[in-house]
Amino acid sequence: MFKKYMSTSMVILFLLVSFSMAFASEGPGGNDRKGKYTYRKVYKACAKTGGVESATPKISPADKTMGQWQEIFENKNFDEFGCMDNWSVLPDKDILDIYSYFYNHASDSPSPATCK
Amino acid sequence: MKQRYLPKVFMALIVISSLLFSFQSAFASTPKIEDEALGRTLARQAVKDNKRWSTIDHSKIDALNKDFKTGEEITKACISCHSEAATQFHKTIHWTWLASGDKKDIRYGKAGYSVNNFCISGNAMEDKGCLSCHTSWNKKGVEGDVNCLKCHNDSGFNFNEALGDIKAFLEDGDPDTNEIATDLQQEVKEAVSQVTFPTRKNCGDCHFKGGGGDGVKHGDLDTSLTKPNRMLDVHMGTDGKNFTCTRCHTTVDHHIAGRIYTNPAVETRKSLIEDDLAPKITCVSCHSDEPHKNDSKMNDHTNVVSCQACHIPEYARVNPTMMWWDWTKAGKMKNGKPYIEKGPFGKPVYKSIKGEFKWEKNVKPEYFWSNGSQTSTTINDVIDPAKVVKVSHPVGDKNDPESRIFPFKIHRGKQPYDKVNKKLLAPMLSGEKGYWETFDMNKAIEHGNKTLGIPYSGEFDYVETTYAFPITHMVAPKENALNCNQCHIRKNSRLANITGLYMPGRDKSSLMDTIGWLSVFGALAGVLLHGIGRFFTRNGKEE
Repeated sequence: MFKKYMSTSMVILFLLVSFSMAFASEGPGGNDRKGKYTYRKVYKACAKTGGVESATPKISPADKTMGQWQEIFENKNFDEFGCMDNWSVLPDKDILDIYSYFYNHASDSPSPATCK
Repeated sequence: MKQRYLPKVFMALIVISSLLFSFQSAFASTPKIEDEALGRTLARQAVKDNKRWSTIDHSKIDALNKDFKTGEEITKACISCHSEAATQFHKTIHWTWLASGDKKDIRYGKAGYSVNNFCISGNAMEDKGCLSCHTSWNKKGVEGDVNCLKCHNDSGFNFNEALGDIKAFLEDGDPDTNEIATDLQQEVKEAVSQVTFPTRKNCGDCHFKGGGGDGVKHGDLDTSLTKPNRMLDVHMGTDGKNFTCTRCHTTVDHHIAGRIYTNPAVETRKSLIEDDLAPKITCVSCHSDEPHKNDSKMNDHTNVVSCQACHIPEYARVNPTMMWWDWTKAGKMKNGKPYIEKGPFGKPVYKSIKGEFKWEKNVKPEYFWSNGSQTSTTINDVIDPAKVVKVSHPVGDKNDPESRIFPFKIHRGKQPYDKVNKKLLAPMLSGEKGYWETFDMNKAIEHGNKTLGIPYSGEFDYVETTYAFPITHMVAPKENALNCNQCHIRKNSRLANITGLYMPGRDKSSLMDTIGWLSVFGALAGVLLHGIGRFFTRNGKEE
């Protein structure tokens, strides 16, 4: 009985650890490739209405670290980006994709990206 | 009495006539204000009617109006008309990365045994980190297809990124990303049609940023030359003649004129007057070898001093350039992670993956004799680690009629060498086994040397090295050319290390000075003695 109890506990513990490890894996789970183009689309739309001078975004993923982007996107603090009218209508899925793009290409990521 | 004074009057008349004649001649030889130096007249003639004309608008060509999915498809479209372009290009150094036309001769070239004291080696194109500057699609090197757009497109569009994204979006089956892919393909189509002869930006995207960043390597080639003014470069200034690189680096069958490692750009200098088919790569071709005004002493220098020596007083005049790279310092961590430290000019002075750097701006060149060729120490050459190893250094001599005193940037550094075999080493930098991942220099060297088939003893150390770059761009306007007294001066002459020849103003001979002064005082003493003697021995002969 005791052996059975121990085995079951071990299995449950193993599953819990694996499950938490999955959550603990770094970064948001959005489509970062799609997020890149969604981000550019925001600025193209904003430039058309005169919200910004150029359609090329001024802020690049490599401008901050992964930790800094995590704080900005988890608190939805997009003031720095400007074009608030365009950001406010973005669905959560698009914001997650943009967050993934910034996080995965931050200055301390394996492949930092800048907007040209 | 009249007879006594007649000779004196006659002598006086001769002296006055001579003075008047000389005075008139002096005025007569003064150049008119509108007279121009020969070099300028010839150069103006050489670039007259510089406008290009074309018989094609590439946006109207059906082969280019397609929804491209890959770069290879684009190249196929290009060579559907330009049928021989790829074949021609495959025989050039921009494709092979080898100096020799014989693919078996891998002595010199990024894909061969050549090294530098920056990122050191291309490891036979195995180091994929270098291949972003290879003219193939998707860093495939010579295994891939020619990327014509790298040189022949001025849209500034990132084709590699866009085509990679198009492929991924079309494969993931998401209607949203399919829509993005369709928009992207339209952008690619619009950008592809902007076909052009190479612009400064096309060449500069690689040649301004060699060594890992803007201005790292050459000193006279950086992004400030994309849109320079005349003050930075009189030839390329957008407010002047706005020359592209290929205006001087002329091209035949995609072979672009210029020095290739040990092979000089030209064997002899010729002006277009002497030979209208002469390469335009040298100053002499357009400006002739007597480019200054007729009565100018500067024309007497042109068989000894290069044009560049006087007309490029400093390099890196807008953006700084790297002067030192010490690999011995690489590998330090902060909190267990690699880091970057920035210094003056906002440039990195330390990177864990590379070591320690120093940068400078407005740099005075160092001068050496040069006949246009340079030595090249490869990883297959034995070195003396007790001395500074000259990885690349000018070849020339004061007795060589083709040699001139030429300005150079000398980049200094420390890089690894084989302690047993006494040869420079070629560590792999990027990729799984590269130093930038493992921070294990020994393993990186093992892997890197293997790509080139050069044995490694397993023991390495570091040696100090130099690498010379000729300074030939960033030609300043003539009013900023060097003054005579920047070379012809006793102390701090720019040519202090050019020895074995006499330079007035810089050099002195104590023996000649002594003889000279003795002669001067001797003559003065002689005149005085003669005069005194005449005075005291006149014996009342005058009335």
